[in-house]
Amino acid sequence: MAASREIEDTAAQWLARRESGDWPAAAQAELEAWLARATAHRVAFVRLQAAWTQAARLRALAGADSGVPERLSWDEAAPARADAPADAAASPLRADALSFQVRPKPARASRWPYAAAAAVATLAVGLGWGWLHYGAVERSSYRTALGKTDEVALADGSHATLSSDSRIEVALSGAQRRVELAQGEAFFAVAKDPRRPFAVAAGARRVVAVGTHFSVRRDGADVRVVVTEGTVRLESEPVGGHPQPTTLLPAGSIALAGPNGVLVRSVPVEEAERYVDWRHGFLVFRDTPLAQAAAEFNRYSARKLVIADAAAGELRVGGNFRWSNAEMFVGLLEQAMPVKAERLPDRIVLRSR
Amino acid sequence: MDNDLDAWFAADILCHEAALVQYLRRAWPHPDEVHDLRQEVYVRVYEAAGKARPHQPKSFLFATARHLMTDRLRRGRVVSIEPVGDFESLNVLIDECSPERRLGARQNLRRLAEAFDRLPERCREAVWLRRVEELPQKQVAQRMGITEKTVEKQIAKGMRLLAEHYFGGEAGGQDGAGMAALGRSRRSATDDEAQGHDGHGGKQGD
Repeated sequence: MAASREIEDTAAQWLARRESGDWPAAAQAELEAWLARATAHRVAFVRLQAAWTQAARLRALAGADSGVPERLSWDEAAPARADAPADAAASPLRADALSFQVRPKPARASRWPYAAAAAVATLAVGLGWGWLHYGAVERSSYRTALGKTDEVALADGSHATLSSDSRIEVALSGAQRRVELAQGEAFFAVAKDPRRPFAVAAGARRVVAVGTHFSVRRDGADVRVVVTEGTVRLESEPVGGHPQPTTLLPAGSIALAGPNGVLVRSVPVEEAERYVDWRHGFLVFRDTPLAQAAAEFNRYSARKLVIADAAAGELRVGGNFRWSNAEMFVGLLEQAMPVKAERLPDRIVLRSR
Repeated sequence: MDNDLDAWFAADILCHEAALVQYLRRAWPHPDEVHDLRQEVYVRVYEAAGKARPHQPKSFLFATARHLMTDRLRRGRVVSIEPVGDFESLNVLIDECSPERRLGARQNLRRLAEAFDRLPERCREAVWLRRVEELPQKQVAQRMGITEKTVEKQIAKGMRLLAEHYFGGEAGGQDGAGMAALGRSRRSATDDEAQGHDGHGGKQGD
């Protein structure tokens, strides 16, 4: 057991003993001696005591006939809910969820006017059907410059967030939703529509979804897919005439599809979300080789981080950094790691010292 | 005994525990050390406040956390610049007001109820009878058909879990997956939102 847990355990025992009603003066003296022995003892005790004091306020929620209330039975007793929604809307952590909420689908064909119906009904219906199924609802191209990200609303209610230096080609019709990731990385919040799968093509791979959140990224021949909500299907083009297996990726999957196959890692959704933190301006590293971290920064900036020697490239780094502030990252590297930075106008060279 | 200092610590520091734990979890590569770190941060804050009360408790708390992590790194225990990372990026300092003021008494009460509901059954019963109904321990033991010693044990356990859930909020859970699962098991989306807000209050204000 960690030392801090042992201390907490002891503090709880003291407190429970004091609360038991059997509390001679000698015990109080002994407790005070224990508290005085280390600040760690005192803070643990103060903390538990504060929660315990708070717990008495539960009485405010108890009904007249008391007794231990059923779990989750507080609703009637507690008027607390009234002020919840406003706070929920203001919750900064949920802001991303909100901004990706599905918009109502744009109204398609409105009602056919009755007057003309008799004459052109057959033709109109035929045309309408054709338009709905094959006509383009949206055909557009979006791109972002180096160091910029952009969120675009698509005609079907889906949203795409483009990372730095990225490009997507969107072709939506009544029958299908197709997006090609031509370059870079994009995060998709797909509006639910089981009849029209949303397919993102990236080189030889295709990611198909019906209503989920995921990102797709291209690195040369490699494609990385990160799923943060729902399930997507990763399909691959046949290689040498051999069909490739399709991979189902549930939320929390990080799939790396290279020329040799697909590697899938399953992580808690919260961790998967770190991979798409770039949307909020951050790069998150966990025990990441410096060479790789530098490559991430380089996706966002013209002033490149260059690793001068292998030893420097192998150093492990972690933390949350603004991708717009590579300079600060370099400063911290110098401060905490055996790295020396040479700052040139177009690049920063990192070498071990 | 410095009751004044204790009261200050409980009111102005503990209310930031959820944000602190989340910050530590995010910044420190070893999740099993977060409990220790948190306690060490509290020790430093408490000792410093004994000399002079910081003007901005939350800033001070997080600065202390950052310094502590840096110190541990310097001692070479971990090869990572993790905690020295872009501290500013977490935006933990944007909101200086305490959850007490921000949430209001009712929501605080709700959070307390949720923390209470997460206690194991017997623990929950013992805590209720003893703390809320204020029955003598002996009666609690009789009512529950257990020994007084066991009541005391359940109370001790209840105190620990209650503090963890109440101060730590959702971040008091074991890991991200646990948090997500808890979130899903709640009754309604409104509750999720409310709890999410409670638990992560002062963080990320992009």
